[in-house]
Amino acid sequence: MRASLVILGKDLRQRIRDRSALLVAIIVPLVLASIFGLIFHNAITGKVTFTFGLVDQDHGPASRAFATEVLTPLRRQGLIKLHLEPTLAAGRSAADSGKVSAVFVLPAGLSAAGGHGGHSHVQVIGNVDEAIGTQVAQSIAQSFANAIDTLRTVQAAGVSSVATTGGSRLPVPIVLADVSTKRRQLDAGTFYAAGMAVFFVFFTVQFGISSVLEERRDGTLARMLVAPVHRRSVLAGKLLTSLVLGCASMAVLAIATHFLLSAHWGNPVGVAMLIVSGVIAATCVMALVATLARTPDQAQSWQGMVALVLGMLGGAFFPVAQAGGLLAALSLATPQAWFLRGIENMTGGVGPSAVLGPVLAILAFAIITGALAFARVGKLVAP
Amino acid sequence: MKVIAIAVTDLRRLLRWRANVFFLFVLPMLIILLLGAAFGGSRQARIGVAGGREDVLAAKFVAALRQRESIDLIRYSSAGSLARAVAHGGVDAGLVIPRDYDARLGRGLGVTIDYFARPDSVAQQLKTTVQSVAADQGRAFAAALLVQRRLGIDYPSALARARAAAARTPAVRVLVTDPGGEPYTSGTGRFQSGASTQLLLFIFLNSLNGAAWIIETRRLGIGRRMLSTPTSVRTVIAGQLLGRLVIALLQALIIVLGSLLFFGVSWGNPIGTAGLICTFSLVGTGAALLIGSLFSSEQQAGPVALLLGLGLAALGGSMAPLEVFPSTARAIAHVTPHAWANDAFSKLLQHHGDIVTILPQLGVLFAFAAGLISVALLQMRRALTA
Repeated sequence: MRASLVILGKDLRQRIRDRSALLVAIIVPLVLASIFGLIFHNAITGKVTFTFGLVDQDHGPASRAFATEVLTPLRRQGLIKLHLEPTLAAGRSAADSGKVSAVFVLPAGLSAAGGHGGHSHVQVIGNVDEAIGTQVAQSIAQSFANAIDTLRTVQAAGVSSVATTGGSRLPVPIVLADVSTKRRQLDAGTFYAAGMAVFFVFFTVQFGISSVLEERRDGTLARMLVAPVHRRSVLAGKLLTSLVLGCASMAVLAIATHFLLSAHWGNPVGVAMLIVSGVIAATCVMALVATLARTPDQAQSWQGMVALVLGMLGGAFFPVAQAGGLLAALSLATPQAWFLRGIENMTGGVGPSAVLGPVLAILAFAIITGALAFARVGKLVAP
Repeated sequence: MKVIAIAVTDLRRLLRWRANVFFLFVLPMLIILLLGAAFGGSRQARIGVAGGREDVLAAKFVAALRQRESIDLIRYSSAGSLARAVAHGGVDAGLVIPRDYDARLGRGLGVTIDYFARPDSVAQQLKTTVQSVAADQGRAFAAALLVQRRLGIDYPSALARARAAAARTPAVRVLVTDPGGEPYTSGTGRFQSGASTQLLLFIFLNSLNGAAWIIETRRLGIGRRMLSTPTSVRTVIAGQLLGRLVIALLQALIIVLGSLLFFGVSWGNPIGTAGLICTFSLVGTGAALLIGSLFSSEQQAGPVALLLGLGLAALGGSMAPLEVFPSTARAIAHVTPHAWANDAFSKLLQHHGDIVTILPQLGVLFAFAAGLISVALLQMRRALTA
């Protein structure tokens, strides 16, 4: 044990001297968290302002109602910006050039058709690069169309004194209430922060365990082994280096994203349990990969590959379970998937007991890969 | 000629180890499986519905939802099991229809349907669709309330009048088109550009891992020995670059062809995509060369490669679409090669462009590559002759 701690101390000093520990544990997580904070800020706070165009060919009460009762309130709330386009061709080119996310086209005769109950439509020309903005435009146009529909129906039912407006005072019998945030699932900020953090840790732990290969190449491993130090102590020292670096970088990332992304990691005790078990699992699997490699270069490129595949499979980038079937089941074989599930379980102020299941699953992964790595340790820690 | 000889020797050194073959070429197959399953095949979004089994009106609502082309509807027996399915990504969104749906609508009272989804773009699109179905289903009831108010009759007879009127009133349709007048496609179903942005992230991050290889080659003294022969630094570096480029290209080729053939993931114009991937891989390997020449140990190069690989990908729109970025981040995005490559992919996939339309983006990427490689060349010359 003492030997392991000496090796840990030596490794940390060495890494601090060549500044790589500083990079791994503090600078990389801080810079990444700032980048995520910068790019996801709007998506998380819901303050995305879309720019839309309007082509009014109707010039009637319907188009006036659309402009004053639908678009103007949205503009006042800062949710949209509006450009008036004189012609359909101008509207098309605005959507094509990326000047606007989408263009509303109110065709000639919309108001008249409303009066006589004839066929009509509202067109949305979407910028193909801005699918989300186009969706928002479609939803605005749809609610306007629904209002016209309701008023036409009322007129057809024999009530004559209803104006052809898209007023917001119409009754809405079936209301869709978005309760996503009240459910036990992650908000966008937490999802990105937790996903990136668990992806990231599989890279940070590499720097401890892979140094065995460097020591071997540089001849210092042989010197360690002729000293009265057991192989396992050498390995344990290297594993400890990985654990310390991994836990430090995860902690920095978690705290930084809490402030920069307003990520809700949940109960600190539960988060600590997840981080420690995640770091252990990452260390074990990277140790296993290291036992297969012969040079530090091999180890680094293989570990990168494994971390990437496990991260994608574990749903750190996109929800893999949406594919269903085999892939969804396979996803649960990764510690990343369980880590994210653990964070999910804690949303809404649930205590650390909610992460026990995921922590056990992560540790099971650690035990299996760790046992395999241990069986091959002779290959890794050999002169 | 010497360049090729150096590249071939490098590759031979690499491939002599069978495990390298597994990690560098077999593992990307798993990525095909992932990208294929997530972004290929079915263009439908999955929505789970709980409740509303017994009621007539509720069943009508569910049937109308099921008829939408973009939706794959799955029934759940309880709100709890549905919530779990949404949280774990089994379905993209969930709807809970209240028990008194029919009763409330029949009495002229509003009903509230709970909607919840994962925080991703598919959920946004689904919500719009569900809202339009809800509005469509609620039209007669909304009209009935107005008729009741205006004419002062009781609700059941107002509802009967409104229903009859609704049946003969055609609905105002919302047409969503692209600027060319064709139906808008990239907004329906799964997020189309996902596969290409993930590919860029993968190529770049993996190319940067080549930095360790460059350092290793230098440490073994291979570079210096080559320099003792009549070979210029430029040739040595070109050879190393070519070797790493071949590996990056092979990996990309495996992923693109595999996901295309087995899962039908669309990659756009073949020549344009090939040109883009070659250029972007050159940027990646150029960056690896630069990192490899700047640092003396893998321990230092590793974290820098990780930071650049993930940070540039995030900034350049490979993790979230540029569309949702704040304006400052959008402006900064184009200092990364990823943003230019993502722009080019959007031209190829969304605008049906070819290699000519993406020439400006390719030009910028070439400039990135040239800049990185020439700095690496200067630095490497110093490192090798020191």
